[in-house]
Amino acid sequence: MGKIFRYECKRLLWNKFFAGLLLVLLFYGWQVLTGATILGVSHTAPFSPWSFGDYLSRMVPLLWIGSLFFLTFFTSGKARRAAVLTDAAPMESRRYALVRCAAALAGTALLALAVLTEAAVFYGWYFGWHSWGELVLPALLALVPPLVFALGSGWLLGRLRPWLVYVWMLIPLALLALPLPDALSVWNGRFFTEFPLALGTLDPDFVLPASVLTVQVLLLAAGLLLLWRRPGLARTQRRNLAGK
Amino acid sequence: MKTLRLFFLELGRLLHGRLTWLVLLLTAVSPAAGLVLYKPADAATMLSMYLANPALAGGAAGGILFALLTVFELDRARRSRTEVLTDAVVSPHAMALVRLLAMLTAAGLATVLTMLVWFPVSRWLIGAVFTGTDYVLAYLLFLGLALPLAILTAGAAYQFTRRTDLSLVLFAAFAGLSLTVWADDWQLCWLNPCVWAMSDDFTNFRLFRTAAYVRLTWLGILAGVWAVSYLCIRRYGKGPLGSLARSVRRVWRPVIALALLACSGTAYAAQPFFDNSNPDLSAMHLYELDYAEGVTFLDRTVQVYPDTRAGTLEGRAVYRFQNTSGEAWTVYFGVDPGYDLTASVDGAAVPAVRTGYEESNMALWEIALPADQEIELTLEYGGFPRDWNLSSTMQGDPEISEIYLCLENQRLFPYLLNVLPGEEGYPTTVEITLPGAMLAIPFGTSQAEVVAEHADGTRTWRYASNSTGGILYAGDYVRQDIEAGGITIEFYYGRKHQAVMEAAGAADAVRAVVDYCTEHYGALSFGTGDTLKLIQSRVAGGGYAVDGASLLNEDNFTTVNLDDRSKGAVPGETFIHELVHQWWGLGNMFDVGDETSPWSSEGLTVYTTYRIVKELYGSDYAQKYYVDQWQRDVDDYYLNFYVRHPEYLEKLPETERLNIAGSLSGVRHYSEMPLKLLKAEQLVGGEAAMDQILHNLFNREIDPMYPYLTYQEFLDACHLTEEELDLG
Repeated sequence: MGKIFRYECKRLLWNKFFAGLLLVLLFYGWQVLTGATILGVSHTAPFSPWSFGDYLSRMVPLLWIGSLFFLTFFTSGKARRAAVLTDAAPMESRRYALVRCAAALAGTALLALAVLTEAAVFYGWYFGWHSWGELVLPALLALVPPLVFALGSGWLLGRLRPWLVYVWMLIPLALLALPLPDALSVWNGRFFTEFPLALGTLDPDFVLPASVLTVQVLLLAAGLLLLWRRPGLARTQRRNLAGK
Repeated sequence: MKTLRLFFLELGRLLHGRLTWLVLLLTAVSPAAGLVLYKPADAATMLSMYLANPALAGGAAGGILFALLTVFELDRARRSRTEVLTDAVVSPHAMALVRLLAMLTAAGLATVLTMLVWFPVSRWLIGAVFTGTDYVLAYLLFLGLALPLAILTAGAAYQFTRRTDLSLVLFAAFAGLSLTVWADDWQLCWLNPCVWAMSDDFTNFRLFRTAAYVRLTWLGILAGVWAVSYLCIRRYGKGPLGSLARSVRRVWRPVIALALLACSGTAYAAQPFFDNSNPDLSAMHLYELDYAEGVTFLDRTVQVYPDTRAGTLEGRAVYRFQNTSGEAWTVYFGVDPGYDLTASVDGAAVPAVRTGYEESNMALWEIALPADQEIELTLEYGGFPRDWNLSSTMQGDPEISEIYLCLENQRLFPYLLNVLPGEEGYPTTVEITLPGAMLAIPFGTSQAEVVAEHADGTRTWRYASNSTGGILYAGDYVRQDIEAGGITIEFYYGRKHQAVMEAAGAADAVRAVVDYCTEHYGALSFGTGDTLKLIQSRVAGGGYAVDGASLLNEDNFTTVNLDDRSKGAVPGETFIHELVHQWWGLGNMFDVGDETSPWSSEGLTVYTTYRIVKELYGSDYAQKYYVDQWQRDVDDYYLNFYVRHPEYLEKLPETERLNIAGSLSGVRHYSEMPLKLLKAEQLVGGEAAMDQILHNLFNREIDPMYPYLTYQEFLDACHLTEEELDLG
């Protein structure tokens, strides 16, 4: 398992796509930090959890696209052709799929880590601010549910039709244009700019309304469920196909 | 010939694809997004709403669609694993060029198709102010040129990386930056040009020139990047660097790539539209220059020749000075940063030195002059005027065309910075030669008259004035005289706007405002008679007023405003503000020496505008759009993190610090002071009591040595203290 995981990680991360994506993310992130985050949101400091959450919301579309591109390593036509060989290996295909998902998750986590590190460098350099602990919760809220869901849903869609993964990449962009209800407002970043104003206090601590928390937990759960369930289903489908 | 044949084959193949036609179709309908979703041009003119926004939305959406199509098409051979075969038949370099040309042709087809589809729609939506020139130029620049830019970007990304995924990520990030973080940087927003307004009544050539310049600069940059990526097209199984090493053997290839990058880089850096004024808006270096000892101004004669086709201007100004010091001295001028300048004294050339410092849209020039007692200095100046970098997101000024021009201060003639006036002030005679249809309107009490008519149909206008600078409007204007408040108002508006002005009852609106102010505060008086000019300007972010003239912004009276019945009889509030400045700011002057005080003419002007709006539109409207808005602005200001924690502002690099500080200024004058005045109104016993106080202040006996209305005088008149007006 460990060996296969390392091999899949190497496939995903040791290539020019990952390097290129990383560079693009870092460039984009720096532009956002110096062009938008530096002003702070909703009267809060640029290094407040709210401003930080806004920064992450602006980065999520690119991270989402990046994570889905990781999945195309496993769902593309080329990968499917190679599946004839990998399926013949003495390993349960469900576990093999899980290992691949874990590798994609690791790649996505590395990208997210790069985005977080960049923000840390920015805050330290511009403001001499280093209280990272305050930013853990907004980071978890803004990044983990959507990215896990991106992998889970992308995995499902890629197995159904590889091109659906590319269509799925446009979802965060569509969400930006839609007037979402408050409970879903984390999805287009509105939560971080509007909710602190609604709290009616200056420099409010980072708090989460139950509805937003519930939606994010459900999103995370849906992502995990899709990651966990789909490989089995795919295998059943293959069996059915083989039977025909 | 072979390449040409391949091009037609490739184009035919491309146009046989269903995906291509889907992209063409989606591009053709994408301007609809500009009517509902994506509306970067926020001015209320018809062309902004129904031409600029659809064309910009179509450009952004079409660009993204064509980028996707480009990556899809470039990856086709690789995807279908026929690359080895096609490379064996046709050189990959030739094929890349052919594919690019085919994609660009498809983009041209999409542009034509979109323009054909939207022509009748735009014409119907825009109505009487629709013109074919605006339509064609807007669609070609805002939409048409976005498509090749996107194709070149996506094509270059693919040729560098040879990966669909990475190409799409690169394009997404590049387009995303243009649409978000770079959207307010007029040179960086490569996909969506920075367009905030288009004029209905006058021309938009300056805006089109700026957009075209940005488009062509990016076209050069991206063509250069594409040309470098062209060198990296994989050959002989080599990687990008190995292929590059092979490709550069044909020297013309890298030479073209480098030439494109160098030229476009130079064009980017040497843009002629905006100046490099000091970003510190509080800097007053030009106004703090020491006056030349013993030197006084005698008179000035100016001849101006605008080139309405090229949008440029040439001029000749003759200054006469008296020097009693007996010493050589240096004269300083503030000149439009786009102009060049040569100087001569009594016919002999003297060096005019551009110091390199720019402030408030003026480049500082210095000229060393001899010790003669009387000097006649002749300045020949001219060029393509540059706008203040502060206004880079509000492009369109300074427009110089056959329909409209506005020459403000240093743009009209070099602005004298360090010579005191003589006994007669700054006597100035200005002559300007304009196309026959244009009317010259000095912004102030002066009146221009035609002194010569030329064979080419142009006319020379002359007027005299007496001030350090001067503003001149000219255009195809209609004049309507209105009697109100005991004065005659010369109301000038664009001929194209006549129907809207009449339908809006603009004359009645002007009369209502002037009557209100006269009744509440007192009658105006001007040095040269009881006339006031009200001049319609091309759509602008704000306005201004001088003694005897106020500005009326074009978007104050539009068809859309007419349809908005909530605005009652007087739809345009900027013009009310500028008219009120005749009472507060000009009729009564304000000392603005203390930068920390919110007291200025703007406070009383905004307050009076609120009162007029309250009377005309009702208290609910005034509360919603004035008082509540002031309160929001003031809250935002005092709650702003950098206002509360200036120590963090100090930690930022200078550019960021000045940008943030500049964005926060203005709130105290335009929002905090009106709120204080509203509080004073409540404390003194209501509107009638406040009106009486302001009436008394307006008509008080003015000390000629210090003619300013101070905050303390206002407080004394109200029997209030500064602390009592704290907003807490």
